[in-house]
Amino acid sequence: MVSETFIKPSAADKRVAKLQELLAQVSGSRGDSRIAPTVAESQSRARAILSELAIPSTKDEEWRFTDLSSLLDINFQLAGPAAVDVFALADSELDETANSRLVFVNGIYVPELSSVAGLPAGVQVGNLSAGNFPEIASYLAQQQGGQEVFTALNTAGLADAAVVWVPANTIIETPIHLVFLTAAGATPVWSQPRALVVAQRGSACTIIEEYAAARGTWCAQEASNCYLTNAVTEIWLAENAQVKHDRIQREATNAFHISKTAVSQAKDSRYTCTAVTSGAKLSRHNLEIFQAGEGTETVLNGLAGISNSQVADAHTAVILNHPHGIVRQLHKCIADGNAHAVFNGKIFVAKAAQLTDASQLNRNLLLSRKAKVDTKPQLEIIADNVKCSHGATVSQLEPQEMFYLQSRGLDPATSRNLLIDGFAGEILAQLSIPALGAKLSRCIACRTDN
Amino acid sequence: MSTTAKNLVNQPYKYGFVTQIESDTIPPGLSEDVVRLIWAKKNEPEFMLDFRLKAYRKWQAMTEPNWAAVKYPPIDYQKIICYSAPKQKKAKLNSLEEVDPTLLETFEKLGIPLSEQKRLSNVAVDAVFDSVSIATTFREKLAKEGVIFCSISEAVHEYPELVQKYLGSVVPTGDNFYAALNSAVFSDGSFVYIPKGVHCPMELSTYFRINNGESGQFERTLIIAEEGSYVSYLEGCTAPMFDTNQLHAAVVELVALDNAEIKYSTVQNWYAGDEKGKGGIYNFVTKRGLCQGVNSKISWTQVETGSAITWKYPSCVLIGDNSVGEFYSVALTNNAQQADTGTKMIHIGKNTRSTIISKGISAGRSENSYRGLVKIGPNAEGARNYSQCDSMLIGDNARANTFPYIQVQNPNGKVEHEASTSKIGEDQLFYLAQRGISAEDAVSMMISGFCKDVFSQLPMEFAVEADRLLSLKLEGSVG
Repeated sequence: MVSETFIKPSAADKRVAKLQELLAQVSGSRGDSRIAPTVAESQSRARAILSELAIPSTKDEEWRFTDLSSLLDINFQLAGPAAVDVFALADSELDETANSRLVFVNGIYVPELSSVAGLPAGVQVGNLSAGNFPEIASYLAQQQGGQEVFTALNTAGLADAAVVWVPANTIIETPIHLVFLTAAGATPVWSQPRALVVAQRGSACTIIEEYAAARGTWCAQEASNCYLTNAVTEIWLAENAQVKHDRIQREATNAFHISKTAVSQAKDSRYTCTAVTSGAKLSRHNLEIFQAGEGTETVLNGLAGISNSQVADAHTAVILNHPHGIVRQLHKCIADGNAHAVFNGKIFVAKAAQLTDASQLNRNLLLSRKAKVDTKPQLEIIADNVKCSHGATVSQLEPQEMFYLQSRGLDPATSRNLLIDGFAGEILAQLSIPALGAKLSRCIACRTDN
Repeated sequence: MSTTAKNLVNQPYKYGFVTQIESDTIPPGLSEDVVRLIWAKKNEPEFMLDFRLKAYRKWQAMTEPNWAAVKYPPIDYQKIICYSAPKQKKAKLNSLEEVDPTLLETFEKLGIPLSEQKRLSNVAVDAVFDSVSIATTFREKLAKEGVIFCSISEAVHEYPELVQKYLGSVVPTGDNFYAALNSAVFSDGSFVYIPKGVHCPMELSTYFRINNGESGQFERTLIIAEEGSYVSYLEGCTAPMFDTNQLHAAVVELVALDNAEIKYSTVQNWYAGDEKGKGGIYNFVTKRGLCQGVNSKISWTQVETGSAITWKYPSCVLIGDNSVGEFYSVALTNNAQQADTGTKMIHIGKNTRSTIISKGISAGRSENSYRGLVKIGPNAEGARNYSQCDSMLIGDNARANTFPYIQVQNPNGKVEHEASTSKIGEDQLFYLAQRGISAEDAVSMMISGFCKDVFSQLPMEFAVEADRLLSLKLEGSVG
């Protein structure tokens, strides 16, 4: 018998190798001449950063509760263009956005499914390569926090992006729907969607950003092939601008979803984010708000409704550097089965951010014995004249409430659903299209039905 | 800031004197030989050498933790004197009269009279000076009840079986970097054993004093409360003012068996360094209580006002069903002080309950962080936790952070966490001023109100002391 000496690569080496492998795949995809030189500069910077990094492990404080080890053994290939018929979109289709929609499949723009005919003149919505965005260089890939590993990876491979450009003093009533689908093939694929929203001075718009599997059913329960989405969205609000951002993540249940939303808010701007997570085997959303002027208002609503062995991780950070900022955050998690919900909410109040009024609340509902939640609401405060509070609660359905509903003649299953619906409803009601809220509500009900 | 206010802020640290006393000090450095030397000096039984060496080897393999929100230059462990003891004329003292009068005077000056006539009538004191315990009062009276209260070095000789059984059972030798260091070189501390069913008749207390400028103090406290017993224990500490930093790495272990209750209170007033942040004690302490028995209860109360850096997380491991853990804390930082403190409540048994009340006050350029963990294990049916951590900022250069970690693995668990950060409201000050109360008094009143939930947990004499200490430390930083 021949004995083989086999040296097992250390876990750390594997993490470095995996990242380099992913980076190598995107390195070939550059070369779009329409990408501005400043972006090319950010790209080479991102590549340089990545050469020193690795896929994070649970030893990194930022990834302490979310283990990416399962990602390492999957041989992801960069997804190419896929033929997707119009029916693939059926689930994501909303009547309200039929003519204000951009569809990307595998990170690649699909003009056949997109239409922006319903938007007022002057508003530019399109993909990066097609549109004419003169000032884009000062926005795309210029947001802070770009050195984070997955964000850098997305920037390194940036080839196209969904761009929403709202000129000064323009108010768009119609929500703009950005749909990012992944058509998973026989082998595991990965894609890197990118979006950029620039709301100029005094403008207002509503963005619905949605991630899903092409051909998946609405509930995303149906198994499709494993895939990875690494998305980055940058949002810029100029003075007095208002952006309402609904973010729906309902990827297939064996997908990985890692994403970053970076928002910069100038003086007196108002940003509202309602992020709903129901899909993916493992999802992570980094939401970062950088305050760039005084008197900003930031409203962050979050909901994760997960079951089976799903992991949903939401990391939010609000960095306040100017006075009179207002932050209202409510993040809710519903975990059933073996699901694991993670929430880490940071609010940094720098010395200059006097008279900040920030409140943060995280509420968690555990529906099964095996479900678990890790939460860390975190405040770091230097300014002394501020009002900041945070809170976290973890509990199950109250037996008294269940009893009350049953005493009114509802069966246990209906009572349970009613209570869960009520818990989720507080966030879903914030979505800009009620039909979307209703769909997600059904999705969560089905997810937590036992 | 008004002038009077400034004067009050710069209140001298009145415990900052150095006692001139000949001491028996080993050369600085840390090695296996030093560990053996300490063991030999203390004339300890064989098992202690194993314990120390095991810890030392673990310590060597460990790296200093860097996750806390504190900053300090790297510590050179080879420059620290691990053992320093005042020279005694006789090896074994028979009574308090034989203690060097200079030492007795030192403690008297600190407000801890050890001689019979002047003692506080209902508090038994163990006085620790640098690395050794000087004297323990009221031993006979306590012995009548079966309570053992002595220094840990005596306990190692007199009650080796108890020490062997419990030492390191709550904080294992390799628990963390500082605990491992302490386990290797610890010199003295207090040992308390409350037998079954005994309600300890008086408050027990230990007073720690660091005198030597280069020495580290590594004390170790072990408290065992047998079934159905009760004990209230107090700890106080001060150190002289030096320009250098001294390391204080203590370990405290508490064990509560069925129906037992331990109340552990600390008033920490180590030298905090000057206003520029020069000097002061690095207070890196591991404190943990094990609620091993059913219905047991451990309650930590701490008033942290001193130390250049505090790194301290008194914890409760709630194993016994229906056991209760409590943590009440006031942490005050001023000038350049840094504190990263909080608690861990680990719920393992059924129907375990915990309460966390933490009040942080930061003034000057200081940094005050609350870092807490509440963990509800998968079998902790019906576990409950309530946490509240409030911070108050005084002046716009101070920082307050909260890092609460909540991990729940049981749906029957119920966890509530609340936190707030604020400053003293102008309108509140105005109201009090309008009633004829000076700004100083008003602030001190507001602060004592802010801390009331915690102070009410302290034994009476200490509550008064703590309140006074806090107003002294803070007076004038508002204005």
